Amino acid sequence: MSGFFNGKNINELFSGLLRFLAKNPPKNSGRTAEIVSSKPISSRLYSSEIKKCTLIPGDGIGPEISAAVQQIFESAKVPIEWESVDVTPVRGPDGKFGIPQAAIDSVNRNKIGLKGPLMTPVGKGHRSLNLALRKEFNLYANVRPCRSLEGYKTLYDDVDVVTIRENTEGEYSGIEHEIVDGVVQSIKLITEDASRRVAEFAFQYAKENKRKKVTAVHKANIMRMSDGLFLRCCRDMAKKYPDVKFEERYLDTVCLNMVQDPSKYDVLVMPNLYGDILSDMCAGLVGGLGLTPSGNIGLNGALFESVHGTAPDIAGQDKANPTALLLSAVMMLRYMQLTPYADKIERACFETIKEAKYLTGDLGGKAKCSEFTNEICSKISQS
Amino acid sequence: MALRFVQQCPIKWASKLARAQSTLSAFEIQHKTPLIKKQSPIPIAMYGGRHAVTMLPGGGIGPELMEYVREVFKYAGAPVDFEVIDIDPRSEESDAFDYAITSIKRNGVGIKGNIETKSESAAITSRNVALRNELDLFVNILHCKSFPGVPARQKDIDIVIIRQNTEGEYAMLEHESVDGVVESMKIVTESNSDRVARYAFEFAKRTGRKKITTIHKANIMKLSDGLFLETSKKIAKEYPEIEHNDMIIDNCCMQLVSKPHQFDVMIMTNLYGSIVSNVLCGLIGGAGILSGKNYGDHYAIFEPGTRNTGTAIAGKNIANPLAMLNASVDMLNHLGHKEHADLIMNAMLKTVSEDHLLTPDLGGSASSTEIVQKIIDHILQADIRPW
Amino acid sequence: MALITRQIPRIFIQATQGAAVRSIHNSTISNSPVLAQRPDTRVTATLIPGDGVGPDLVYSVQEVFKAAGVPVDWESYFFSEVNPTLSAPLEDVAKSISKNRVALKGILATPDYSHTGELQTLNMKLRNELDLYANVVHVKSLPGVKCRHSNIDCVIIREQTEGEYSALEHESVPGVVECLKIVTAKKSQRIAKFAFDYAVKNNRKKVTAVHKANIMKLGDGLFLRSCEEMAKLYPKIEFEKMIVDNCTMQMVSKPQQFDVMVTPNLYGNIVDNLASGLVGGAGVVSGSSYSADCVVFEPGARHTFSEAVGKNVANPTAMLLCASKLLRHVNLTVYSDMVRNAVEKVLQDGKVRTKDIGGQNSTQEFTYAVISNLELPKA
Repeated sequence: MSGFFNGKNINELFSGLLRFLAKNPPKNSGRTAEIVSSKPISSRLYSSEIKKCTLIPGDGIGPEISAAVQQIFESAKVPIEWESVDVTPVRGPDGKFGIPQAAIDSVNRNKIGLKGPLMTPVGKGHRSLNLALRKEFNLYANVRPCRSLEGYKTLYDDVDVVTIRENTEGEYSGIEHEIVDGVVQSIKLITEDASRRVAEFAFQYAKENKRKKVTAVHKANIMRMSDGLFLRCCRDMAKKYPDVKFEERYLDTVCLNMVQDPSKYDVLVMPNLYGDILSDMCAGLVGGLGLTPSGNIGLNGALFESVHGTAPDIAGQDKANPTALLLSAVMMLRYMQLTPYADKIERACFETIKEAKYLTGDLGGKAKCSEFTNEICSKISQS
Repeated sequence: MALRFVQQCPIKWASKLARAQSTLSAFEIQHKTPLIKKQSPIPIAMYGGRHAVTMLPGGGIGPELMEYVREVFKYAGAPVDFEVIDIDPRSEESDAFDYAITSIKRNGVGIKGNIETKSESAAITSRNVALRNELDLFVNILHCKSFPGVPARQKDIDIVIIRQNTEGEYAMLEHESVDGVVESMKIVTESNSDRVARYAFEFAKRTGRKKITTIHKANIMKLSDGLFLETSKKIAKEYPEIEHNDMIIDNCCMQLVSKPHQFDVMIMTNLYGSIVSNVLCGLIGGAGILSGKNYGDHYAIFEPGTRNTGTAIAGKNIANPLAMLNASVDMLNHLGHKEHADLIMNAMLKTVSEDHLLTPDLGGSASSTEIVQKIIDHILQADIRPW
Repeated sequence: MALITRQIPRIFIQATQGAAVRSIHNSTISNSPVLAQRPDTRVTATLIPGDGVGPDLVYSVQEVFKAAGVPVDWESYFFSEVNPTLSAPLEDVAKSISKNRVALKGILATPDYSHTGELQTLNMKLRNELDLYANVVHVKSLPGVKCRHSNIDCVIIREQTEGEYSALEHESVPGVVECLKIVTAKKSQRIAKFAFDYAVKNNRKKVTAVHKANIMKLGDGLFLRSCEEMAKLYPKIEFEKMIVDNCTMQMVSKPQQFDVMVTPNLYGNIVDNLASGLVGGAGVVSGSSYSADCVVFEPGARHTFSEAVGKNVANPTAMLLCASKLLRHVNLTVYSDMVRNAVEKVLQDGKVRTKDIGGQNSTQEFTYAVISNLELPKA
């Protein structure tokens, strides 16, 4: 983690920001001030003491799969202490429903969290909790590694891509209005800072995880200015990482090639909407959201989560598949520099799936969640 | 910024260029007059120059005639796609019928045979009438033009009958007030009379017709027909270049059979329209030739001119295909496909006047299929072959 | 007896329906070649070869047409954004297309920046000029093309005149770019109706609207609402909504579930390409763009494949299928079927295959294979 950002980059980013702020009228500074350089979380991660992690079990099948992850972590003796919090929306002082302050404090304190699936209540007045968490912790990059799992056969067996998605702006800026009756205008917002931040993260990630290539996915032939800006930021960043190969591809080309030959791609970096679409598509290639981990990297912390639904129909029946959450937890361990533990757990998990003795219903097996979990635990203790 | 985008409408010269050779189509008369509400709530079903059209074969000879239309269209290359909806005449369920109405609403244009209403129940109204009311097809136009080669009592007739199509005697308000006494209401409204009259004058102006005759029975039905007559007189003042007179229905029928050439455009209420059109059809060659057009503000339906099902001759291969083909030509003209319309029309004229192929109802001996085949042959040999 | 006479015309009718082309007599077959020789019965179509391998593919189409004796005359325009000095003016091209009402078009390359600083690409300009609002891509598994998925048969209908492609962008402050996405009720209704009418016409059962209305509540919400409203007019067609990210995931895992899909601009672009990838890539999928008056036929997945220029390796299947569709549109059904059958036969036999579908043959060899498989009508 030490090389996450070297000093030079930070300095550059800061000076860029100062220049940026100086040019702007003060009224904008309120908004832009949040976008600070992506300084990594503090170095106290390196101390050998037991670290605290916030756990948000989530709704539906969330509690069971969280329990499974906890059980596996225990058997691997991971030096982590869980701090379980409830994020059921409460009415805040402003009268709006939001995340309880305790949960925010917990993540702010621990700087790291693991989250099960959350249900967004239907109806008005509720902000999507996912969105709220994202805003609260300024999670600017979403990382989703998709890898074909041995033992679960899909039509694609050579998938190994990581999608990195800008998570704070773009099409999901939420600025929309109806200009005249029947004409709606939505604004896609691309800023240099956010683009540069996510590009930097992508290259950093590629370097740290020994990936060969970063592909910037864009549509700059149509959106010449906005995607053009994003692309320029990626190009600039590529120059700083000469050992990582860089290429640019149109979004449609990526879609086309991905389903024909996924091995053409390695790390993909892209704006918000494209990332949303492509990451789900890649998940589809390897067998769905139940198998793909996801991590959100932010300024104020990192949140790892499983992105599948809450599956209320099988909740509490011990049928759920904890793989996605487990692999997210593994990502979390890597992020915390606890790589040996991460490797151990990951290996056990993959082996269990490969052996196919204890597979849950969604993978075509008959095993219960607890059986699957126990098998992983026994593999861990054997090793 | 955004407003600029809204104004950035597609350039209209493109369509003008393509259509420059054709004169004002009936579609334009219907939709582009400033007098009539223009806005269509549903986008027009026209894609890449092809139209989607609802086809209601109806009962009796309807299905076979429709088959001929499709056959002829295929060879003429008419850019029309039909959505065929069969309505079971015996069924009292109105599902298929409702679907047909929806279909016409979204396609905007329909071609239909006569839809039978077999049910005897008083609660079930005639579907033909219901269709017109539902779609507000307030005007029916029957262009009675002598067909060369068809034996007829009167030659060179060219009369346009414009008939109020949704109210009058066809209001379907009937009840037995006391035993043995039935009251039937005839409804005439100023707004509908106004619409019909205005349509007629506008039509006459745009097609270069000189005279309009209002047919009525205002001497007896002083209020209802009186209103109709007054309205048309009022509108006539706005069109001084068009001659306007009026005639009582019984006199009109007499004049029609003796001196039909005095008439040019005629407007009338619903029931008189039915009478006059059948009289004229008889004069120029029977029910099998003429076609009628029904227009509303947004929709148009084309059908054979005299609304008979012809159940007696169904399936015998002797039904006259000309009426339905005429209706389809009207439809093509309405859609602006003038070349295809002319192509089919010329083929029909040749078949009748040069080859003298006539079905038994016109005194000939040819079968329906023979005539259709001949028409197709003429189409294939035509000099122009638009697609 | 009466019963028998009643049946006769029915049989006749059915016969004509069954043998769509040969019907009543064999008149068309014997007539068409004769007709083809008469200059006044020929069809004129606009031809835009496009960039990249476009010219090679168009040449292939011309060769096949020549061999089949198709009565089509081309009005060819060089039209290109990457080569602006040689390109024909937009007005001329638009005029030609609106006069001929049909066009065959290769793919135009769109550079990331324009020489004149314009935000609109040439493709967009042409679409707006002619109001080519609906893009239809029929993605169908072809016989003999090996892919991971089989039995795919879906139609993707994409609105292509507004949405993200509005070309309204500005830099509000340095380093912050705003890109406007415009959705209008009028155009949303129009495309929804197009999709449903397409479904009715082609006997399709289901229309799926692809959206992201959970995030873009107003913009995509308007699109979705328009589709819902329109769906009410089509009670016989099933209507379904799907969020775009889920849609792409379903597309790669269970593509057979889709029938007709209607999408706003950008999502359509994504789904088009994704689906094309599933059935064999950009070289085999044909598409078309409709306005009220004219149709432009072009390959479904828009890739210029410029790295293959001059190498004679591009797959002409997509372009030939486009050409076949064009012939069908101008009512030259016989020729349309002839070309289509020949292409399918070549693919089915699998002896001649271009590189993209796992063969070694050149564009030219493929073209010749198609020509030798043409079933010419007997004179």
